[in-house]
Amino acid sequence: MLVVEGLVCRYGKVNAVRELSLRVEEGELVTLIGANGAGKTTTLKAISGLLRPAAGRIVFEGAEIQAASPRAILGRGIAHCPEGRRVFPYLTVQENLEMGSYLRRDPAGAAEDMGRIFRRFPVLEERRRQAAGTLSGGEQQMLAIGRALMSRPRLILFDEPSLGLAPNLVETTFDIIREIRNQGVTVLMVEQNAYAALEMADRSYLIEAGAVALEGRGRELLGNPYVKQAYLGG
Amino acid sequence: MDQFLQHLLNGVILGGSYALLGIGLTLIFGIMYVVNFTHGELYSFGAYMVFGVVAALHGNFFVALFLAVALGAVLGAGIERSLLRPLRGTSIDTTMLVMIGAWIAMQNAEQLLWTGVAKAIRHPFPEAPLVIGPVSVSWIRIFVFAAAILLIAASHLLIRRTRLGTAMRATFQDRETAALMGVNIDAIHTVTFAFGSGLAAAAGALLGPVFVVFPTMGDLAALKAFAIVILGGMGNFLGATLGGLILGVVEEMGAGYISSGYRDAMGFLIIIVVLLFRPTGLFARAERVG
Repeated sequence: MLVVEGLVCRYGKVNAVRELSLRVEEGELVTLIGANGAGKTTTLKAISGLLRPAAGRIVFEGAEIQAASPRAILGRGIAHCPEGRRVFPYLTVQENLEMGSYLRRDPAGAAEDMGRIFRRFPVLEERRRQAAGTLSGGEQQMLAIGRALMSRPRLILFDEPSLGLAPNLVETTFDIIREIRNQGVTVLMVEQNAYAALEMADRSYLIEAGAVALEGRGRELLGNPYVKQAYLGG
Repeated sequence: MDQFLQHLLNGVILGGSYALLGIGLTLIFGIMYVVNFTHGELYSFGAYMVFGVVAALHGNFFVALFLAVALGAVLGAGIERSLLRPLRGTSIDTTMLVMIGAWIAMQNAEQLLWTGVAKAIRHPFPEAPLVIGPVSVSWIRIFVFAAAILLIAASHLLIRRTRLGTAMRATFQDRETAALMGVNIDAIHTVTFAFGSGLAAAAGALLGPVFVVFPTMGDLAALKAFAIVILGGMGNFLGATLGGLILGVVEEMGAGYISSGYRDAMGFLIIIVVLLFRPTGLFARAERVG
């Protein structure tokens, strides 16, 4: 479904991503793990079009998208749920969800999806007229996920969905992401919590210094001595 | 008391147009972070367009008003595309210098085209004022006020209730995330600047027939617009509306009770007082546009 080949991204003269290649098959849940600054977020930004790669190809369902705008990429079916949730703080909960369906031309379908999201996250419906900036961290995460779903994507990119959440909410968030995958949406997730990321994934990539260091089925990597020592705390 | 009522009425009516001017600037200055020195020139552009269409082309007054607002928005879009888009991401100082240059160029173009002599705009309203008890008000001022209120309400609905307005607010809260939602960021910048410019042109088109039209009329208007934005809080739509009304009333009161020579000083007095005591603006707690 998604193929990244030889991706190179630069910030000024610094290479954040060097010759990174990965692929995601339809229906998979793939995670990227690695240390801070390894290039995971940069990779997601390149896929969703926020960053123009210096070199490499990104192919989604047969079409090259490495030069496309975020708008065009979203239109092809890739949604990006960014790091730090990034809800629009002064827009209401409902307006945030409406922004999620900004490109859609079927108001009835979008309204239906919003109803589904409200049923899944009743707290969002209770607070639909409240400014999103007033929600708690966990509620903002639900809103950010709901907003990403509003575009009816076929592939969702999650960037550090558990970051800054209380432990019980971390588990809830991972449950929601599994649920999204079980409904047939492909997921590519960046996650610092390496144990959870490997445990829930079909496949994982370990990213080090802007390139793939290891690739494998999640549970295989969980047992890998190097991964154990470097990322799972022994 | 009668005199007070008369001043109050004049102030509110003048304030309606000031509010238009302030809303236009608060959109551009408060949420795009562009210190728009051309705002006053768009105001005088609006007034000159009405004058031009009515006097030179013998056009209908109302058609002239509509054209002035529409052309003001087009001119604003042109300024954004040609001057501001290439500078996006540079420091606020750079855009400020460029906008000062544009301001000087536009003002001199007006002087070249229309000369420095003040012009009066003919309007179709009766000269005899409407008298209600102790107060009287001219029909043109009633029309100007009604039109200003209508435009303010329409702008409010556009920003609050439409898909475009929501995208505008989202863009200025978090540009990158708005792009991820599929918003065309370049287009939003152009539309916002055009919209603010159209409102400035509308204020000029409405007040032009009340006063007279001359090339430097925009200078004072721009300063008043900044006073309104500071009074109401940057990017605050409701603040700009109330700020405009307050400035109108304060000016009329100052002119009436102190001396008409102090009319234009009132705006600056307001800036000084607000910056001293409430630097985030009187209505800083109200929800921002962006």
